[in-house]
Amino acid sequence: MQVIENEAGLSRDVPEAFTFVESSGGIEEYLLKSNGLQVLLLPEAAAPVVTFMVTYRVGSRNESVGLTGATHFLEHLMFKGTERFNKEKGTTIFNVLQRVGAQVNATTWLDRTNYYELLPKEHLALAIEIEADRMRGARISAEDLESERTVILNEFDRGENEPMRKLYHAVWTAAFVAHPYHHPTIGWRSDIEHVTTVGLRHFYDTFYWPNNATVSIIGDFDRAEALRLVEAQFGKIPSSPEPIPTVYTEEPEQRGERWLAVRQAGQLGSVMIAYKSPAALDPDADALDVLAVALATGKNSRLYRRLTDQGLTTHVFASASRFRDPGLFYVLAMLAPERTHEEVERAIGEALEGIKEEGLSEAELARAKSQLKAEEAFSRDGPFAVASRLNEAIAAGDWKLYTTYLDRIDRVTLEDVRRVASAYLVDERKTVGHYIPTRDD
Amino acid sequence: MSIDTETRPFAERVEERRAGACRMLALRTLVRDVVAIRGSFKVYPDFAAGQDLVQDLAVLLLDKGTRRRDRFAIAEALESRGAQLQFFSDGLRVVFSGRVLRDDLSEVLAILAEELIEPLFDAGEFEKARAQLAASLRRSMENTASQASAALSRRIYGRAHPNYQPPPEEDLERLATITVDDVRAFHAKHFGANDLTTALVGDLDVEAAEAVLRERLGAWTQGTEQASYAEHAEEEAPGRSLVPVPDKQNVDVRMGHGLPVRRQDAAYLPLFLGNFILGGNFSARLMSVIRDEMGLTYGINSSLYGISADYEGHWQVGVTLSRENVQRGIEATVAEVQRFVEGGATEAELAEKQTTVTGKFKVDMATTTGLAATLLRNAERGFDVGYLDRFPDEVSAVTLEAVNEAVRRYFHPDRFQLAMAGMLPDEGAV
Repeated sequence: MQVIENEAGLSRDVPEAFTFVESSGGIEEYLLKSNGLQVLLLPEAAAPVVTFMVTYRVGSRNESVGLTGATHFLEHLMFKGTERFNKEKGTTIFNVLQRVGAQVNATTWLDRTNYYELLPKEHLALAIEIEADRMRGARISAEDLESERTVILNEFDRGENEPMRKLYHAVWTAAFVAHPYHHPTIGWRSDIEHVTTVGLRHFYDTFYWPNNATVSIIGDFDRAEALRLVEAQFGKIPSSPEPIPTVYTEEPEQRGERWLAVRQAGQLGSVMIAYKSPAALDPDADALDVLAVALATGKNSRLYRRLTDQGLTTHVFASASRFRDPGLFYVLAMLAPERTHEEVERAIGEALEGIKEEGLSEAELARAKSQLKAEEAFSRDGPFAVASRLNEAIAAGDWKLYTTYLDRIDRVTLEDVRRVASAYLVDERKTVGHYIPTRDD
Repeated sequence: MSIDTETRPFAERVEERRAGACRMLALRTLVRDVVAIRGSFKVYPDFAAGQDLVQDLAVLLLDKGTRRRDRFAIAEALESRGAQLQFFSDGLRVVFSGRVLRDDLSEVLAILAEELIEPLFDAGEFEKARAQLAASLRRSMENTASQASAALSRRIYGRAHPNYQPPPEEDLERLATITVDDVRAFHAKHFGANDLTTALVGDLDVEAAEAVLRERLGAWTQGTEQASYAEHAEEEAPGRSLVPVPDKQNVDVRMGHGLPVRRQDAAYLPLFLGNFILGGNFSARLMSVIRDEMGLTYGINSSLYGISADYEGHWQVGVTLSRENVQRGIEATVAEVQRFVEGGATEAELAEKQTTVTGKFKVDMATTTGLAATLLRNAERGFDVGYLDRFPDEVSAVTLEAVNEAVRRYFHPDRFQLAMAGMLPDEGAV
């Protein structure tokens, strides 16, 4: 054991297998020396439960043509089992974990894939054992792939049922022509239909290694014991034989407005207006977060007052994506009956021009910061909520984006908001999508 | 008062007080700064007359201004604190829920009371709310899941049952006839402290919260009008309803029948466990066979649906199928359900799901919002707080004989009603 000191100057016993890296906002970072596994610990004894999560730094961003959807497909197959945990033995991962009341699942997105268990604290060892086992032990059989292919195709069809989702993807696809944020995380249908075990196995063998993963443990646990369990289960796995490939494709500068329409049978239309925005760790992203809240969170937000309160829309959202690479700042508006796309698009444009010209008021800035501050406190309510936010920070490239977020937001000034509005919300880098409902059968 | 820890039973940790007309359930936890609010009261709309739509409008208008402040002023009072407060209808009840920072609890409870007791019901805001509800009904027409569930409800219940969901076209017609005076009258007669309960969980000062509730909601009088409602299912002969929704490759299918069971009945827990073994989670039989082995669906489940202490509900199996798999998927699902009902559950399955349910019970209460929802639901059912302590033991004590007896007695796949929505396969194919 070694003794380290945390932020508060308190000594901690840490197994020799780990290096203490740093701590921030109550979260401690360790590195498993033998294989480079990053470990984050946040002890919170508010309830007798714990969340165990493995985040792999691989998402649809790492996919190429022909293998779109591979990350997501692999995530499904990771539940089909290993030599130790499988259906034949009556020990599927769901069986074993749900038996103890665990909430268990996995999600895939642009920059990451995460597997998590929220479970009574006495079962932490089981979650660690299963996740370590499937990090290198997934079977990925042809039989499992075929039965899961139709499951995923049904998931794909469910998504195709939703016009708003199609509009969202269509805008990203039009906005990004070179960078892999171009394709939806679930992949193109033809790729799902044709992917083979060879392709998925290659993907697994390239990215599923301890040095491309972060383990997070949040909740009611003993630090030294948890680290010993991580060492015992993950310590036997070597680091990747080859360096983890990097994504070097950059999106070329957009030099003109793009416009698209999604037509599908339905009732009421919607409009999405998106602008190229900076990567998650760029300080400008903080000002864009504040702007998004001031625009569309609450009844006093600019767009609510301008659109929904005036009967132009039924709902309006704004969001600044915070991904590893540059993404989109967007406004999504759902039309009220008898309203046109054009008048809604024009009203959004006028509201954004107003921000560029005059910026926000002091009161708007203060309100937006209060809303973000409260949201942050709410996100500390329970280990799963913390894990969800931490997961996105890990994916963005620095877990401390979670712990320093409020400080970053605190630093945003009125001038920052006006500056980023003028710099990013420009027609040359705008993509506009309309969902136009059709009535044909 | 010392901060409670999770080791003591709920019966000791939860403070139950009468704040005048409002029953308060308060639980301090170790979470920092945050308090979750969840409460409800009964309004008894006249379902047979379609009054639930008037209730929906009243609920939509609660946060659109009061007699003291307009909609923006009241929103500002919440938003400047980052506080969240929502209202929604749930059968006989109106429910409110929110999250606030500790220091803002008193002010937010005062706003909550102002919105409940003194809503403005401005004519202009009424028109906007009506347009909003119309849009929401129209959007539901393109949602295959809600269309299938609603169609099934119409095969199982009569119009006066709280679980009956009218066709959206019918609601749209009725919506056009409702006036702001209808909403005002409904609020005057139906809103009030009928079974009014507020659960508060988190980093809170119990005495201060009680004082605010007593001052602001304690003198709220009861609603004077209570319409009667149907307590039982009223089924058609087994059959099917098809809701064509164009341009939807995925078809949502629902099958089920009425269940003469209420939450407080002795049969409930064995039936709940039996259903859980069939379709309660990822490792249940339906997901295991229809998704995992056969690859026919992304999602399938079974549930005891819409059962409360006040009225009976139904048993429902829901499955989502790509258009080309609809026939095969339905046949395989019905066959699996029949196999389960005829063969019953096994000891191993029951043991697994018993620990699943008791473990999940613990996990679900890891957040203030989860705890507040559980406290309220328990109170709405008329159970004492100690039931939350007894629940795991009661689940563990259910025997295999009791489960299989309940399954045989109450589950009848041969009486299944079927509803589906989406781009339907050719007639005759299903």
